Amino acid sequence: MTKKNDSTFKSRFMSWLSGENSPLDDELESIVSGEEEAGLDMLSFERAELEEEKLELRRDKLLLDEVAESRRMHLWAKTKGAKWLNVFYRTTAFILCAAIIFFLLSTVVALPPFGAEDNPYNNEVSQRYIEQGIPETGAVNFVAGMILDYRAFDTFGESTVLFVASCGVIFLLKLGDHAPGKPSKAMLEAEYDDRHHEPKNDGILQFAAKFLTPVILLFGIYIVLNGHISPGGGFSGGAVMGAGLILYLTAFGFEKTRRFFTYKMTRWISVLPLLCYAGMKSYSFFTGANHIPGGVPLGTPGAILSSGFILPLNICVGLIVMCTMYTFYALFRKGGM
Amino acid sequence: MNAFMMIVLVFLVVCAVATSLSKNLLVSVVIFMAYSVLMSIVWMMLESPDLAITEAAVGAGVTSILFFITLKKIHAIRGDEEEDRHDKEE
Amino acid sequence: MIEWIRFGLTAALIAGGLFFFLSGVVGQYRFRYVLNRMHAASMGDTLGLIMIMLGLSISHNDGFVIAKCLITCLFVLLTSPTASHLIARLEIATNEHPEKEMELIRK
Repeated sequence: MTKKNDSTFKSRFMSWLSGENSPLDDELESIVSGEEEAGLDMLSFERAELEEEKLELRRDKLLLDEVAESRRMHLWAKTKGAKWLNVFYRTTAFILCAAIIFFLLSTVVALPPFGAEDNPYNNEVSQRYIEQGIPETGAVNFVAGMILDYRAFDTFGESTVLFVASCGVIFLLKLGDHAPGKPSKAMLEAEYDDRHHEPKNDGILQFAAKFLTPVILLFGIYIVLNGHISPGGGFSGGAVMGAGLILYLTAFGFEKTRRFFTYKMTRWISVLPLLCYAGMKSYSFFTGANHIPGGVPLGTPGAILSSGFILPLNICVGLIVMCTMYTFYALFRKGGM
Repeated sequence: MNAFMMIVLVFLVVCAVATSLSKNLLVSVVIFMAYSVLMSIVWMMLESPDLAITEAAVGAGVTSILFFITLKKIHAIRGDEEEDRHDKEE
Repeated sequence: MIEWIRFGLTAALIAGGLFFFLSGVVGQYRFRYVLNRMHAASMGDTLGLIMIMLGLSISHNDGFVIAKCLITCLFVLLTSPTASHLIARLEIATNEHPEKEMELIRK
């Protein structure tokens, strides 16, 4: 506090660093803090009151000054400034857009033709993938072989990103902790807000959801399990399964969804597949890097139980994606699970 | 490049421009959904069905739902606003 | 001869489906009120799509393709009217003066 009125930059910076006061405080804020100190002093009450009145007058004057200043600036901004800013903004935007379009189009012109033989992407890497992909990974759909075998570390990062995103949404949006049978006040408010304009328990939607949810979930499971044979895989199948869960939640509400999909279960389903993924890939990286036989049979390409770790990895990714989608929806909508 | 591909690409560009130019956020999200569906058709025609499935499920399905909920939460949908004003008047 | 009949049936069905889709799109822009526009849109979704699917299954004459077309029809028949119903219900719930747009029979 001793250096409060010191105006050299260094001392002010040091005092800000030690947390005494901020150099960015303007006059108004310091007055407010002074008022608080005066209010704390209960013994010299009258003096404090006088001080307060004085402060109030000063603050009023400051506010008036500020209002007048802002009015003047508003007037300027509305008449002259707006015009100038508009012209400047539009010219700059136009020039920037034209430049970006020019550079991008000139790049496109310089690209080699689509599908030509001597394109740079026809190199030994893609040749290796095409020739050795099926014998090495055992996956007929060697997009799955690529993203879950050759580049599995990349996919692990993506799954971790999804997990961290759902963690962040839970941190930010979860409303309180609710004991069983006694929802918190915030949750009740969210429920009221949600159901205010919406009809509750729509019969037609429930009838449709009763037929559609099993079909959608089954389709998602099919996409996940067939990821190494046909197009699809963990991400798309998980998204489809998450959409099915969202449909069920929209039709029947949280009461019925909680019977088979609780918050605790969501946490376990989010964490366990990630750990499984890490364990499996650590094992295969360790054995692969040290030329130890992995002991996981690749099976015949095209069979459902084939291609080593790709099938369990697909299931892991699908579960993570499904939980993330469901978590996002539930938390964004009502702040609960 | 056949005629169908050209039509789809033209619509893709139109959707992309309309998404950023429309004043109403709800309309923007709906046009973005259409953009995702067209994009998944383009992926299908470029012979990458994996991406097509993912784009249709994530881009057109789940992302739009999340956008809609967010718009509802921040009261950016016009009907919501009117309802709130109506409630305050009562 | 049978090929020609099949071709004619397919062409007629697909053209009819496209006509319904087109009238749906025109209705989207011509009608003013939400419920009218929704009626036009869902007509294209259900009747137009079913006609096109019928035409495709007649033209292919393959059991698997016909089954796929039928399943698609079933799915659309389940989802599209449900979505229309929800939109209509939301419109009725949020519209403050529905009597401006339509005749109301109050019970």
